[in-house]
Amino acid sequence: MTEFLLMSHVLFGVACIVAAVWLFVDVLHASAANLPRIRRMSWAAAAVMWLAFVIGGYWYVTYYKADKAIILSEHNKHWHFAHEMVMETKEHLVIMLLLLATYLPIAASNNLAENKDARRLMLWVVALTALLALAMDGEGGIIAMGVKTGLLAK
Amino acid sequence: MDPTSLSKASISFGLSLAITSVLNAIIVAVKEKSPTVMDGMKKITGHHWTTHVLLVLALFVGFALVFGALNGGKGKAITAGKLIGTIVSGVVVAGLIIVGFYLFAD
Repeated sequence: MTEFLLMSHVLFGVACIVAAVWLFVDVLHASAANLPRIRRMSWAAAAVMWLAFVIGGYWYVTYYKADKAIILSEHNKHWHFAHEMVMETKEHLVIMLLLLATYLPIAASNNLAENKDARRLMLWVVALTALLALAMDGEGGIIAMGVKTGLLAK
Repeated sequence: MDPTSLSKASISFGLSLAITSVLNAIIVAVKEKSPTVMDGMKKITGHHWTTHVLLVLALFVGFALVFGALNGGKGKAITAGKLIGTIVSGVVVAGLIIVGFYLFAD
């Protein structure tokens, strides 16, 4: 069950990255024809980010304690940063990512086909979302590696 | 709505996003440095992070409502360039505060 939760968290997080990159390209070519798709994709990006956040948050609050103990174990000293730096920043940076993803459908509600300023706003928000989501994905990988090295060193 | 202007919601929530991101970072520093705040946040929901998230979400919606209510309900007036600058600055500064805090101050 915990593995399923964790993999779902990763799956939806990666889906958010894919949706953000898709949006970036679509907004670059915004027109009356693709505007409905841009808006649907914005809602999709926000929805998968919320799923990733809620699932990951539940896992963090409920199950992370055991992984944290493995990462911070005495024989895993070189990987303590996986919790002390990486998880600590991830759990707080991801809140900003949630706000950015939530803002996507709001920014996409403007007339992106005719409004250059609205397109610029959307592109910046999508870019921040994609970059931050990618950073969260990388941090998740480092945390998982911290657990792995902790288990292997036992 | 003028097709070349930004909607009230996108301005209100955009400004709120920037402010709330910075407040999120400040809450991190305060709760990590103050055991009293940390314990209080744990007591409210059972976990400091859950309380932190709920507080930030409440601030995000609250600030957006405030910005939307300005100018007699027409919302805060701001150019797209300033809004983008505020959002990007807010997110980048907040990110640097969080990373910097755990690198140097914690």
